[in-house]
Amino acid sequence: MTVSDADMPTADDALLIVEGASYSYLDRFPALDDVSMSVQSGEKVALLGANGCGKSTLLKVLAGLLFPDRGRYTAFAAHVTEDGLEDAQFARGFRSRVGVVFQNSEAQVFSPTVREEIAFGPLNMGLERDEIAERVDDSLAMLDILDLADRAPYQLSGGQKKRVAIASVLVMNPDVLLLDEPTATLDARTQDWLIDLLVELNAAGKTIVLATHDLNTLDRLADRCIVFSEDHRVATDGPTHRVLRDQDLLAAVNLVRAGSRSPRLAAGWPLPS
Amino acid sequence: MSATSTTPKWLLQHEVGLCPCACIGKRRKGGVIEKTTSGAAALLRQTLFSEDVAGERGLLQRLDPRVKVLSLLGLLVVTADLRHIPVLLGMYAGTLALAAASKLRLSFFVKRVWLFIPVFTGVVVLPATLNVVTHGDIVVPLGTWFGHHLGLTEQGLRSAGLVVTRVATSISLVVLLTISTPWAKLLAALRALRAPRLLILVLGMAYRYLFLLLNAVTDMYVARRARTVAGATDATSGRLLVAASAGALFGKAQTLAEEVHLAMVARGYAGDARSVTAFRMRLLDAAFVLACVAAAVAAVGVDRLLGR
Repeated sequence: MTVSDADMPTADDALLIVEGASYSYLDRFPALDDVSMSVQSGEKVALLGANGCGKSTLLKVLAGLLFPDRGRYTAFAAHVTEDGLEDAQFARGFRSRVGVVFQNSEAQVFSPTVREEIAFGPLNMGLERDEIAERVDDSLAMLDILDLADRAPYQLSGGQKKRVAIASVLVMNPDVLLLDEPTATLDARTQDWLIDLLVELNAAGKTIVLATHDLNTLDRLADRCIVFSEDHRVATDGPTHRVLRDQDLLAAVNLVRAGSRSPRLAAGWPLPS
Repeated sequence: MSATSTTPKWLLQHEVGLCPCACIGKRRKGGVIEKTTSGAAALLRQTLFSEDVAGERGLLQRLDPRVKVLSLLGLLVVTADLRHIPVLLGMYAGTLALAAASKLRLSFFVKRVWLFIPVFTGVVVLPATLNVVTHGDIVVPLGTWFGHHLGLTEQGLRSAGLVVTRVATSISLVVLLTISTPWAKLLAALRALRAPRLLILVLGMAYRYLFLLLNAVTDMYVARRARTVAGATDATSGRLLVAASAGALFGKAQTLAEEVHLAMVARGYAGDARSVTAFRMRLLDAAFVLACVAAAVAAVGVDRLLGR
C-alpha cells in the first residue's frame, strides 16, 4: 500500500492517537515536546529521527509503559493512563492487543529457556495450556528457532535473541506491533527476513509502528513517516516517498548530512511520484 | 563537524610501540580482571552443567516438582530432629542413593556438599570439641595451657560429629532438590504450594538479573583488559577497579531492571510466576511420597529407640 497525501489519516478514524504529549526523564531531560500523531488500523508507520530525538520514548508511550507529563494518549477509543492500566481487565485487553519489541533484546529475553520466554505472554493472558503449547511451537517454527527451544537466552547470539524477542511478542497475536530499531544489529539476511515478515503481517491486517533511523529499508517498512526533530518535536508527518525526497528536511533533522542525498536517491533507485 | 579541526595532532601520528621486538617479558599471574572473567565463565559452566543434570531422566527429575519440594523439605525437618550419628549417617546414605538414582555423578555430588561444610560448620564446631568448652573425657590430649590439660573430649567430638552429619545430610537434600529441578519449575512449584508471591517474584528476578549482570561485568572487564597495556594490576588499582565497577554496575543494574520490568509488563505481567509445564501427580510421585514417609518414620523410630 502506498499512501498519497490525500490518503493521510485523520484523528477521527485513528486506532492510536497522541495529543500534545510531552515527557521528560527525571523531570530534567526532555524526550517529547508537544507531540501529536495518530495511527490508523492496518498502517505501517515509521517514527524517524536522529539518536535521542524521542522515538523510543514515544513507542513506550504507545505501549502504555510511559505516560506523558502533559497531553494524552488514546488507544482503541479509550484513554490510556497509569490509573486506567491498574484495572486488570483493561490492562489485559490493552496488553494483548499491543505488542512491543524492544531495541535491547537482552532486556526482553529474560526467562530461563526460550520456550518459557515465548510462553510468558500467553501465560499472562490466561490462555489454556494446550493452546499456549501450540502457539509456542508454531512461533518457534515460524521464526526458525525450534532447535533453540530449550536453550537459555544467555547462550544465544544477538540475531537469535532478536528472533526470540519477536516470537515472544507475535505469539500473543497483537493487533498493533511496536518495534524499536527492528533492523539494527541484524545481518543482511536476517534484516531481509524480518522486513518480509513485517510486510506479510501488515498485509494480514496488523498495524505496525516502528522507530528507526535506517533510511535504506524504509520504503518497504513504512507507508508513512513521522519525522522528529532534534528538539523532540514532530517535524513532519507524510508519505514515505515524500519524506525521502525532502533532502533539506532530512538534513535539518540530522538523518542525512547536508548536501548528501538520501540512500535510495544515492543508489539511483526510483521513488514513486 | 570537520574532522581536521577537532582531531588532535597526536592522534594523526604513529604511536611509538612499547616493545617492537619479540622479546620475552616478565610473566604475571592474573589479577582482579582475569579472576573475575574466569569466575564468570566458571559460573556459566556450572549453570549449564546444572541444567544438563536437571534435564536427565533420573528418578528425581521425573517427579512432580511439588511432590519433590514437599518430600525433601519433610526429610529436612526430620533430619533436624535426629539425635544419633548412625541414624543421620543412614539418612546421608539415602541421599547418596537418591543422587545415584537421579543419574548424578557421586563424586560431584559429594564434593559439592562437603566443600561448604568445613567453611560453615568447622568454625562453629571446632571450639566445641575442646575440653575447655565441652567438659568430658579427653580422648585426644593436646598438651597443657596455663597448667590446665587441653584436649578433645569424647562428648565434644560426638557433638561435633552430630552437627557435621546433620548439616551434610541437610545440604545434600537441598542440593538434590535444586540440582534436579529447573529453576522455573522450582519457582512454579513453590507458587503452587502457596509460597508468598513476593518471595517468588524476588527469587525469579534475582535469577534473571544474575545472568544479565554477569554478562555486563564480563563485558566491562574484558573491555578493560583490552585497554590494559602496562603490567599487572596492583592491589590498590585492583581495589579501585572493583569499586568503580561496582558503582557502574549499580547504575547499569538499575537501567536494566527498569527495561526488563517494562518488557515484562508489556506482555501482561502482573506479579504472578507461571510455568508452561502443567504439574501432574502420577504413580511414581505417590510411591516416592510413601518411600519418604517410610524413611522418615524409620529414622525417627530408630532414633527414639537409641534413646536421648
